[in-house]
Amino acid sequence: MFATKTTNRSSLDRNNEQSDVLYDLPDKPLLTIEARKSWVPLNLRDLWACRELLYFLMWRDIKVRYKQTVLGAAWAVIQPLVTMIIFTYFFGKLAKVPTDGVPYPIFFYTGLLLWTFFSNGVSSGANSLIGNSNLITKVYFPRLIIPSAAIGAGLLDFAIASILLIGLLVYYGFPVTLGYLMLLPLVGLTTVLALGVGIWFSALNVKYRDVRYALPFLIQMWLFVSPIIYPLSLVPEEWRWAMWLNPVTGIVEAFRCALFGRPFLWAPLGYSFVFSLVMLAYGAYAFRRMERTFAELI
Amino acid sequence: MRPIVKVEGISKRFRIQPREAPSVRYPTLRESLVKMARSPFARNRMNGGSDGTVWALRDVTFEVMPGEVMGIIGPNGAGKSTLLKILSRIIEPTSGRVELYGRVASLLEVGTGFHPDLSGRENVFLNGAILGMKRREIESKFDEIVAFADVGKFIDTAVKHYSSGMYLRLAFAVTAHLDPEVLIVDEVLAVGDGNFQRKCLQKMDDVTRSGRTVLLVTHSLGMVTQHCQRALLLDGGLIVTSGSAQAVVDYYDAMCDQMRSTEADELAASSAP
Repeated sequence: MFATKTTNRSSLDRNNEQSDVLYDLPDKPLLTIEARKSWVPLNLRDLWACRELLYFLMWRDIKVRYKQTVLGAAWAVIQPLVTMIIFTYFFGKLAKVPTDGVPYPIFFYTGLLLWTFFSNGVSSGANSLIGNSNLITKVYFPRLIIPSAAIGAGLLDFAIASILLIGLLVYYGFPVTLGYLMLLPLVGLTTVLALGVGIWFSALNVKYRDVRYALPFLIQMWLFVSPIIYPLSLVPEEWRWAMWLNPVTGIVEAFRCALFGRPFLWAPLGYSFVFSLVMLAYGAYAFRRMERTFAELI
Repeated sequence: MRPIVKVEGISKRFRIQPREAPSVRYPTLRESLVKMARSPFARNRMNGGSDGTVWALRDVTFEVMPGEVMGIIGPNGAGKSTLLKILSRIIEPTSGRVELYGRVASLLEVGTGFHPDLSGRENVFLNGAILGMKRREIESKFDEIVAFADVGKFIDTAVKHYSSGMYLRLAFAVTAHLDPEVLIVDEVLAVGDGNFQRKCLQKMDDVTRSGRTVLLVTHSLGMVTQHCQRALLLDGGLIVTSGSAQAVVDYYDAMCDQMRSTEADELAASSAP
């Protein structure tokens, strides 16, 4: 505890009259700084103490995104809407992709909604450290907050875009089912997966700038190996296991099952759950190990 | 009398790689082979160390007592900023240990995190949060900060429209209201017009008089003698001397004079026919 001092000391006096009574220093240091060994703790307490900063950085990202735009937050709906219209025409009508008896627009939109959140999260997360290099070289706070804020800011766009989903559900007359209880947990799981992948790539990006070029390509390919544009049933039975290896498959399929009142496939969902948690743990750990050289490499 | 900041044997090594891609871990076998193949007779780099390393700090040890204002001076490249960065946890030391017995706030730059598209008001909150203030703290001090910054009704316009003076004043206003036990300041007072500098010095006076511990890196020797009780002279990563502010400043002056006269002698010798 830092006791208050008396106010009428001149700067000359201070040299001679300091005593332990006025300064109540703790016995153990508040903080020790030394070179870290290879095992680096995650330091969740530090993160929790800085949760307000996480909120401020998310708020900053969201505010800045739509400043000086005419349409503002409407962009969060217009983009998926236009994508849906175009894809419905080319894949739904022209290519006649079968969609398990559900109209193509809503089939596609459910996948697109989750996928947009996931892919934007990973992209913005991966570039967040480089984009905030001025903060990293001048101020200390737990660096994990930076990609977390970038991904968290995407949640707002997700919320806005899901308004259109609600509209589509009403339009096509899908009833509310018990599966709706799983919707929020699934969004949470997507967030966990996006965090794991985004955090890992953001740390790699500082050291190897290849990530900045490799990632857009990787994400695009990932889109095609996930059942977003086409249903899982399109893939022949003997190759379906390869699709399940992709954690996004389990989440998207469960999301659709929840909305269309179909029975859940718990095994793939369980796999996605475990994969996401492991990815988050590994991503955070790798991040912490690489963190010590961020300020020097960035 | 126990120190509030205890620095023991802090050393910092930077590796300078000839290639573009820095690698902090020891190079892989493949990288070493490629390096050997490319330049089998590569010369040693200037600052010693066969694999291109620079020791920015070497075995720096000192203590700061609570309530003390300690100046850190030295020529460019002495390692002063590196030392501050280590104390601010931005960079990790290669070896050594620092013990901090009080809350630390660092001012390595004015306006960290300011975003040009956000308004002055929004930036005050953002900057305050980045520097470690809680939201409630910023809210309670908000009026003082705005008054100190003196930007008037422009507090709600985007800061990209501010003049550089307004920008600096607002940025400094936030940092001036930090409330740490130990304050680390790095030459932030070097910019701004006369008015701004006076305001900064005034605030520095308030801070030091209220009993905070301050570590101040500066090139202005006048500031050291006027505001600091003790000082540290760094050169080439080593502590050359430490002690009372006046003594260290005198030593530094003498050192500079010595260097200047040696240079003059060398110049005269080389230009003589």
